[in-house]
Amino acid sequence: MKSSRKALGSQHNLTAYTFLLPWLIGFFCLTLGPMLGSLYLSLTKYNLLTPPEWIGFANYMEIFKEDDTFRNSLWLTIKYVFISVPLRLAFALLVAMVLNKGIRGLGIYRTVYYIPSLLGGSVAIAIVWRQIFDGNGLVNQFLSWFGIQGPSWISHPDYIVHTIITLSVWQFGSAMVIFLAGLKQVPADLYEAAQVDGAGKARQFFRITLPMLSPVIFFNLVMSIINSFQAFTPAFVIGDGRGGPLDATMFYTLYLYMKGFSFFDMGYASALAWIMLLIIGIFTGIIFLTSKYWVFYGDSKEGR
Amino acid sequence: MKKRMAALALGLLMVVTAACSGGTGSGGASDGQPSNGGNNAAGGEQVELRMMWWGDQKRADITNEALKLFESKYPNIKVVGEFAPSTGYFDKLNTQLASGTAPDVFFLGGNVVDYANKEVLLDLAPYVGNELNLSDMDKSMVEYGTIKGKLLHISAGANARGIVVNKTMFEKAGMPVPEDGWDWQEFAAVSKDISSKLGGGIYGTYNMSIDGMDIGLKQQGKQLYDMEKGTLGFEEADALKWFQYWEDTSKAGGVVPSELQVSNPPGDTSKSLVVTGKVAMSLIPSNQLAALQGLTQDELIMVQLPRGEKGTGVVFESSQGLSGYAKSKHPKEVATLLSFFINDPDVAKTLGNDRGVPVTAANRTLLEAEANEVEKIVYDYTSRVSSATKTEPFAVSYNPPGFSEYSKLAETTMYEIGFGRKQVDAAVKDFYNGTLKIFNNNQ
Repeated sequence: MKSSRKALGSQHNLTAYTFLLPWLIGFFCLTLGPMLGSLYLSLTKYNLLTPPEWIGFANYMEIFKEDDTFRNSLWLTIKYVFISVPLRLAFALLVAMVLNKGIRGLGIYRTVYYIPSLLGGSVAIAIVWRQIFDGNGLVNQFLSWFGIQGPSWISHPDYIVHTIITLSVWQFGSAMVIFLAGLKQVPADLYEAAQVDGAGKARQFFRITLPMLSPVIFFNLVMSIINSFQAFTPAFVIGDGRGGPLDATMFYTLYLYMKGFSFFDMGYASALAWIMLLIIGIFTGIIFLTSKYWVFYGDSKEGR
Repeated sequence: MKKRMAALALGLLMVVTAACSGGTGSGGASDGQPSNGGNNAAGGEQVELRMMWWGDQKRADITNEALKLFESKYPNIKVVGEFAPSTGYFDKLNTQLASGTAPDVFFLGGNVVDYANKEVLLDLAPYVGNELNLSDMDKSMVEYGTIKGKLLHISAGANARGIVVNKTMFEKAGMPVPEDGWDWQEFAAVSKDISSKLGGGIYGTYNMSIDGMDIGLKQQGKQLYDMEKGTLGFEEADALKWFQYWEDTSKAGGVVPSELQVSNPPGDTSKSLVVTGKVAMSLIPSNQLAALQGLTQDELIMVQLPRGEKGTGVVFESSQGLSGYAKSKHPKEVATLLSFFINDPDVAKTLGNDRGVPVTAANRTLLEAEANEVEKIVYDYTSRVSSATKTEPFAVSYNPPGFSEYSKLAETTMYEIGFGRKQVDAAVKDFYNGTLKIFNNNQ
């Protein structure tokens, strides 16, 4: 067997690319292609049925200058992200820490708490949510035991977004499983040492648990933010599917969908999609840039 | 070794692509029927058509039955039916039209103008008298389907809008049941009275400011959309007058508050508060009466709308109808199907009045002969409307272009006022400007 170093290298590369092939095909055909297509469409007026007509940046100009619904929906979505993501992560961490106490039947708990993450994005759960928070739904029946008459949570523009946030927090499972794995990685001797030095539980949490978990928090934060910006199903099903009442469920993606498929303005919708991409990119970028100040990798040089 | 590697890679590839295509789950709008079938042109005989409509399961069942009748009569044409609930129907249709996979025949409502403007509808004029028999169809209905000189739409049922009145509630309140010929002042007074007499959580009427807006405008001698001139048919002041009336009536009490109207919209028969005895009156198309009556023990009747300056503003109009797809490969068969759908007596018997009263005189007589109690109320009502329009004619109204965006705006306006977010005049100003903009974008 005679094979030069170079040939061996290229053979390794070939194997690697063969394994990557499915992903590459998917990426180029199903992701990059349509994305570039939508970039072109965003510069046109395209009503789905007649060929697109080039109008340059007119869609973008209109979005930024004249479109109140765009501003409202963006603001609503940002509000949703900034309330639901921290709540969900805090809740996930809390449950993970409780489960990390070494209780019996951990596997069952872990599975049960993980289920909402699998179901939460589905239409069926959103419909159940509607029933729970309806004017005479479960929540209000519960409240009426205490003599409180709750409003119809899903039909008042002031309350409906909180219903959707609750649904989002309820899907804490996947973040929890990752936190749980992270907690298991924290060396027990750190806690023992802290205990010997007389540190209380709260101090241990802030000085040991949080810093040791920061890479996991970082990962969960990025994923949650990206997902939350793209929330669609809950707004579509819990609201009336058209952003109502009073645009209180007009999430960015829902607005985009309606513009494209209900209002025959696919060019405009494509422009909205690219703006969304930039916004998500900016938020993710900020987290990455600030990460070096708060994410602590135990194996890095500064760490020890 | 290498061979095994390749096999493994290939296997992996298959798994991943399969997983990907199943996992994204975003393809809700796609359908698994890309071709229109009927490709075996060699025989030239067997043809497959697709037809799509909106509605509930009951409508789907009877429509499929009607399609079976058609297939047994024309064994060389197979018709595949598809349906969607009304909320998602048009999104689905739009997506299919965009990708060129729309059904050969589909139902449209008042938004037919939007589709006519986009030139996706089949011109049926060449088939009239041959495959398509319109000899017995009402002239006004044929005219309704003729848009800009082309026959693009065949009405599949007619109705007249009116006020559904829960008679039992009026009897409980000891009040006289409203009768034709009343005006809006009386309507407001009645709504308020019944609400205060029956008390707590019971209201006189739904807020009709959106559903009844085109009627309200016609009563003032205006209209929503002037198709001949291609302009809006009303001014800001006209809309203001209408919205102001509803705001005043709401303030006086007796109109369903916005919060309740959101959770129990009048258009959703299964949630309608008229059925549960919480609201005494609502604006409905006459073909909905049967669905509402089926859900309640209370006695429901229909009364004409309160009169404005020019009369009731209500006409006997198409509720929905059929259009062919301009790119259909089998236009002749499409025409045959449409003709059968409106003319065949067995189809009429199967479908009943589900989509409205039949549009041919023969089928109307046929159904009237075997009408049940509820249907008799509907026939009685529509004939009252027909005779009223003889002395007070009104034009049939078309929805303005960009209708789905417009109706979203109108609804927002109603709730902005209802939830107290905007004063009436400010809300109407935004509404009018928004309507103009939508209208111009969709010309």
